[in-house]
Amino acid sequence: MTLLASIAIIVVAAVAVAVSVALVPSKPSARRHRPPNPEPARPDQLVRLERLLVMARVSALQVHAYLRPILVEIASQRLAARGQTLDRMPDATGRRILGDDLWEIVRPGRPFPEDRHGPGVAAPDLGAMLEVLERL
Amino acid sequence: MNGALSPRLRGLLALGGGGLVAALATGHPELAVLATPFLVFVGVSLALAREPQLTACIDLDRTRLLEGERAAAMVTLVNEEAHAAEVELGLAHSRYLTLEPARPIVLQLARLATVTVEVSVCPERWGAHSVGPLIVHARDSMAALTWNRRLGERVAVRVFPREQRLRELVAPLRMQPFLGAHVGRSRSEGIEFADTRPFQAGDVARQVNWRASARRGSLHVTERHPEQASDVVLLLDTFAEAREGARGTLDAAVRATATLARAHLARRDRVGLVDFGGTLHWLEPAFGTTQLYRIIDALLSSEIAFSYAWRATESIPRRVLPPGALILAVTPLLDERSIRLVTDLRMRGCDLTVVEVSPLAHTTPGPAPADPLAFRLWRLQRDALRARLQGLGIGVAVWGDDETLGPALEGVNAFRRSARHALRA
Repeated sequence: MTLLASIAIIVVAAVAVAVSVALVPSKPSARRHRPPNPEPARPDQLVRLERLLVMARVSALQVHAYLRPILVEIASQRLAARGQTLDRMPDATGRRILGDDLWEIVRPGRPFPEDRHGPGVAAPDLGAMLEVLERL
Repeated sequence: MNGALSPRLRGLLALGGGGLVAALATGHPELAVLATPFLVFVGVSLALAREPQLTACIDLDRTRLLEGERAAAMVTLVNEEAHAAEVELGLAHSRYLTLEPARPIVLQLARLATVTVEVSVCPERWGAHSVGPLIVHARDSMAALTWNRRLGERVAVRVFPREQRLRELVAPLRMQPFLGAHVGRSRSEGIEFADTRPFQAGDVARQVNWRASARRGSLHVTERHPEQASDVVLLLDTFAEAREGARGTLDAAVRATATLARAHLARRDRVGLVDFGGTLHWLEPAFGTTQLYRIIDALLSSEIAFSYAWRATESIPRRVLPPGALILAVTPLLDERSIRLVTDLRMRGCDLTVVEVSPLAHTTPGPAPADPLAFRLWRLQRDALRARLQGLGIGVAVWGDDETLGPALEGVNAFRRSARHALRA
């Protein structure tokens, strides 16, 4: 019985050795000798806007202090190309051209929000505002 | 013998050693018998291992290329040892070079043999690149030991930006009093007909227009527009770029700058260069082919140097911006400092045109749900910025990397013609 066990151990060991030797790589793995490509560079302007829109969804202060000047600049430029001026635009005309939501943000003399921690602009509403600006 | 054990030999050594330890632990001498051949094999391999004496050289058939062209690198490897060896060859190279074959080459090197391998080198973009040295992983004939060596010298490869052909250039507002290819607005000696007028004392006889004189009954002379040149300063913005993968706005900006430099120098303009970014480099305006090579050499080392330093117009030496020079700013308009610079130069009365290298092709919206909205807002903001610059009298040519530059410059010329009175003010 002991002899049989010894033979079995040797046979199993021999098989294990053969498998191990076969698995040891005979050639080193292929290497590349080139520095990696640089990281993608995203424009800071865009990254700042992405952060701003996240904040503008939850904060009326962010909308008034940071998003509004951008929208005013874009709306003024688009209206100027049509021969209109945002600063002197009557309320009714502004609502008709820009829509109630966008006009409410960009209208001249918009007061500072009473509740600065109040809700900002929801993404679908902002999408609709941008569509109006793109159409102008 | 200062090589490293090969993975195969390390495995065999572990098996032999493990067998001996197992034999001692279990009291089975059969395991020791089984382990002995492995250890003998390891010993014989180590005794016979000889370090291959290798020398190598790298030769390129061309060291100056245009983007898209290929060069052939001939890699010659000599085995000076009287033993065969197995070698794995890899060529170190710069980031923007592609080699074919890309993977290392494995060769069986006979004793005292010389082997030459051809590797194709293809640049992905302009720049001062290098190929080499040769990185060699050598093994002796029994694959017992490995040696890692760096052989051969580094070979410099200069890749010039591919330029476009331009039929129309931005017409400068003011000319300089030296001979060039632009038809001046003043009247003096030249080729281009301007007008006729009555003869005055001091006019030379060869200016007399005999037909007009005969028709009008009195002497008339021909007036002509002079051929003049202008000063052109190329302003390359290296503050920021948009990059995705191997392509970015700086790559395109350098191509546009090289194209404009060659086209203006071909029209005998004096051309200068200001590399305006984290680090400031400049070349004073000059004529000729030598200046073109100076400019291209300077462009090859252009890179985005991150910096918080605020730079303004005062940073540029005054002699680099001659009075009346046409300034062509090649910029993606991504950094507030470059936007302030072009605005400031225009406010000082410089004749300025912006070639906007559009970053839109190199930028994608982020993954967050609100990011596409931010991307749309960014596009609208850039439109507004462009309109603001045009309102200041700065012509803006929007140019995408894959488009031809000519139509964008034609658009600028149309804008400058319509706004010429404001520009001269």
